[in-house]
Amino acid sequence: MPVKRVSFLLLSVFVVLALVSACGGSQPAPSGGETVVETVIVKETVIVEKEVQVEAAAAEENIPEGATVIDFWHAFGGGRKLLIERMVADYNYTHPGTYVRVENKGSYRDTLNAAILAAQQGNAPHVVQIFEIGSQLALDTGIFMPIEDLVIGPEFQADDYIEGVANYYKIDGKFNSMPWNSSNPILYYNKDIFRAAGLDPESPPETFEEMLDVCDTIVSSGAAKNCISWPLHGWFFEQWMANMGAELANNANGREGRATEAYLDGDAAKTILNWWKEMYDKGYYAYSGKLEDWDGADAIFVSGQAAMEITSTSDVVNRQNDAAENGFELGTSYLPYPASSEREGVIVGGASMWLTKDHADEELQAAKDFVIWFTNTENAIRWHKATGYFPIRKSSVDALEVQNWFELNPAYQAAFDQLLETKPTRATQGALIGAFPEVRTIIEQAVEKVLAGEASVDDALSAAKVEADKAIVDYNKSVE
Amino acid sequence: MYPARFKGKILPFIFMAPTLFILLVFLYYPVVQTFILSTYRVAFLGLRKKFSGLENFVTLAQDPGYWHTVWVTIIITTAIVIGGLAISLAIAMLANQKIRGGTVYRILLIWPFALSPAVAGVIWLFMFSPGYGAVNYLTFLATGQELNWLGNPRLAITLIIVASIWKNLGYNVVFYLAGLQNMNTEVLEAASIDGANAWQRFWGVTFALLSPMTFFLLVTNVTYSFFDLFGMIDIVTKGGPLDATNVMIYNLYRDGFEYYKTGLAAAQSVILFGVVVGITLLQFRTAGRQVHYGG
Repeated sequence: MPVKRVSFLLLSVFVVLALVSACGGSQPAPSGGETVVETVIVKETVIVEKEVQVEAAAAEENIPEGATVIDFWHAFGGGRKLLIERMVADYNYTHPGTYVRVENKGSYRDTLNAAILAAQQGNAPHVVQIFEIGSQLALDTGIFMPIEDLVIGPEFQADDYIEGVANYYKIDGKFNSMPWNSSNPILYYNKDIFRAAGLDPESPPETFEEMLDVCDTIVSSGAAKNCISWPLHGWFFEQWMANMGAELANNANGREGRATEAYLDGDAAKTILNWWKEMYDKGYYAYSGKLEDWDGADAIFVSGQAAMEITSTSDVVNRQNDAAENGFELGTSYLPYPASSEREGVIVGGASMWLTKDHADEELQAAKDFVIWFTNTENAIRWHKATGYFPIRKSSVDALEVQNWFELNPAYQAAFDQLLETKPTRATQGALIGAFPEVRTIIEQAVEKVLAGEASVDDALSAAKVEADKAIVDYNKSVE
Repeated sequence: MYPARFKGKILPFIFMAPTLFILLVFLYYPVVQTFILSTYRVAFLGLRKKFSGLENFVTLAQDPGYWHTVWVTIIITTAIVIGGLAISLAIAMLANQKIRGGTVYRILLIWPFALSPAVAGVIWLFMFSPGYGAVNYLTFLATGQELNWLGNPRLAITLIIVASIWKNLGYNVVFYLAGLQNMNTEVLEAASIDGANAWQRFWGVTFALLSPMTFFLLVTNVTYSFFDLFGMIDIVTKGGPLDATNVMIYNLYRDGFEYYKTGLAAAQSVILFGVVVGITLLQFRTAGRQVHYGG
């Protein structure tokens, strides 16, 4: 058995080496056509993943003696997990005194649960990735400490974060956690289907109203069975609320005081649901029938059953790979908004890195050093290029611009511009609600009811408001 | 036959110690903890708690959503138990015939049981998902129509029931087959000689003689429907659409681990515990008397 394994490892190493050397010479040439450049990037990403598999397996066994061990728990699988392991391996190699032990703990929720349970047992991981809507919850658990309390002077550049990101993660004017993977929803579309329907592939619909027109053309021309897909997920509702400048909860979206009430029955909410319902009833909008089913929506779009998909910017690389594999040309654009309102912008979604307290001082320092390194200018660029998540630092954006990155990779551009053009308001700052996970499900079920025709938009929303308010009050009671 | 005897009272406990220890740590202690937690208002999986008496149970009793999950559980359980046992018995009867390659058929029938609920769930999801499901593709080719298996409450609950019956089929068939193969054929012959037709022989003899097996499978299938459906539901429907497949065990999980209502989840766990204990007792008392043991 061991012999077999070793030879397999060796074989993998050879394969990787061969791939690396095969690709070493083909740096993206600025003068090349767009598609060529994109394909090269796709290839690069794949290679990074394969290379890391070998190294991560080897690194597992040897924790250097006397090193401070830092546990880092995250919620990524697949290629992103491998990339993280690769970055951590780099850190361990260049920082001999520290050994970061990285572990995937399942979903965002699983990771947070695991961290809370571990903290109860007295051995919390030092660094935990927590999803954005878990921010209030994480604060309330009391097991974390604000990162800004640990940093000294110039080692942390609070001003270097792009506005949208800083806005979300600053709570009471202070960074409680280190911003990391940040994204928001954009429109992906299949240019080939647009051409087949006789539409201009360079002008995707911008408003809810244009969307209805474009969908009419696409579906009636038979270019695609459905027009658009996105997961039936509360996140999109929240984003559209923000885009219309509407707050989701009282007390300035829970930012000026604990939220006690959700604004689910206002005009903005009704506009969103009425449009959603119309899109569904006309057969334009398709989803898998299951809540929060990202893969289902991806499948509908990638297989060509729908001409467009709204999903996270963090899927830019995945969708480019899909488009290359399935042989269609991909376009990206802004999240559509109702013409009756201004485009206010989007909320930063994703997750950040939280530090747990109750560790020896040297461990806290090491953990802090690690998260600062992990999200520094260079690593923010590396993370952005490999995934599509935002480069969260201004300095990273500057460097990317010097490289003409956005010109060469227009798919990343829409995502980024949308964030830069976002107006910093309470609405686009995103809501802090302790019971956010439950409120999200309540919203999703209201949408489900409306689409199934079991309730009118007004009834479903006012019922959802009652339920959400109850969930919020119950939560608040439990943390008093 | 001598009854086994140990010298002294300590020795048997020493022999049982490993089992007792495991039961204590992994069964009794968690059960006691669950009962205690159910009387607390708990935040963050136990990080903070406050005694609240029976508040959690009152909350559940007053929540129409919870009663809905009870109702869904009853529907799904009834369908799985009746449908599952009937189909398994029919298949077992067929597989029990002496035909060429009978062993191969018998082995093939057990396969679904070898899959974990999660894997079974993924298989059914692959078949019935509107985006990439093979079933919808075929129905579309044949009829031009597509069914929204995961979006329509009735279809979704049907899908869960059928998939769960399929998943547990191997288990039921194995037990029925064992029962059939161990059956005393003399009684059947006697019935034939007395002029009973096939139908009468089945109900009067085979089914009656299988009743201990049916009784056993009834209990295990009810428990299966109450607890083991979690993996299937989590993967195929996530309790949706519109809570149509939100059974008690799934609701418990969501409250406990997604919404951080640990006390409320503990209370639901206590209720489930009570239900299962109740069903088992009831079945032992009533069905137990009419079950035909021996042979």
